[in-house]
Amino acid sequence: MAGGGGNMESGEPDFQIAPMIDVLLVMLIFFMTITSAQVLRVDKNIKLPTGPNAQRKDNGRPEAIVNVRWDPVTRRALFIYLEKPYEDPEGLLAELQAARKASEENHSRDSTGSFRVLIRADRDVPAIHVSKAMNTAGQAGISDIAFSTVNKD
Amino acid sequence: MKRFIPEELPMGGFQIAPMIDVVFVIMLFFMVMAGAVKVENEYATTLPGNAEAPSATEFFDEIIINISEAGEVSLNDEPLAAPENRDLQRLRGTLLRLKQNADNAKTPALVTIVSDPNARYSRTVDVLDVLAQAKIETVTFTVGEE
Repeated sequence: MAGGGGNMESGEPDFQIAPMIDVLLVMLIFFMTITSAQVLRVDKNIKLPTGPNAQRKDNGRPEAIVNVRWDPVTRRALFIYLEKPYEDPEGLLAELQAARKASEENHSRDSTGSFRVLIRADRDVPAIHVSKAMNTAGQAGISDIAFSTVNKD
Repeated sequence: MKRFIPEELPMGGFQIAPMIDVVFVIMLFFMVMAGAVKVENEYATTLPGNAEAPSATEFFDEIIINISEAGEVSLNDEPLAAPENRDLQRLRGTLLRLKQNADNAKTPALVTIVSDPNARYSRTVDVLDVLAQAKIETVTFTVGEE
């Protein structure tokens, strides 16, 4: 797209618009990519706690994401898995067991790591509800648990 | 009848200057957005199991961090951070020393966080963040009895 050169007759290089547009477009694509790639795909009703020293999320591992919403008005927690709400995390047990079995069958021969549960809990939720979600994961035979946070408010 | 000659139509040529203006504005938008983007982080942990060990297992001293309902953090029953203190500086200093002692003794630093059932989850994350800073990886999280 860009052509090089300059005004060779006068010896002074001309301002070339085409290479500038090339650079601008490359920068534009770069910023568009990093902005869209890092946008959180998190339940909008959940305000994640901040953990600036936590490690970056490992997106390569097979995982089940359990969202824990908190309603401060009714003071009730709601567990969401695959867009389905559960009042009690016990309801997740069969779903998590099935997800673990399916993952073990699909990933038995590669090295992506063991199946895990990622808990995305609201920062205001009482700790007992996070513990209940962990217990359910344990009952489903999943021992790897990760707690989700954001790097800043 | 006059013959249609396309060349006679007024042609708006491709204007490069407005295009550069628009590209600049879009790029500025994405540059600003890139700075404000939140990134998802995680604290990984493993639930304790009861796997059979091939030989006798040596048990090490356990550090217990309690979180009260109001959010007060105490280590082995010694209060180290008030509920409104999010920095947890004293806890960080103590954990860094304990980690160093454990490393010198070549033993793992075992930490159990015991949170009050009604304490806010964000307080647990504050403590997990300090543990990550102290590079203590053997962490268990549980809640006390209601």
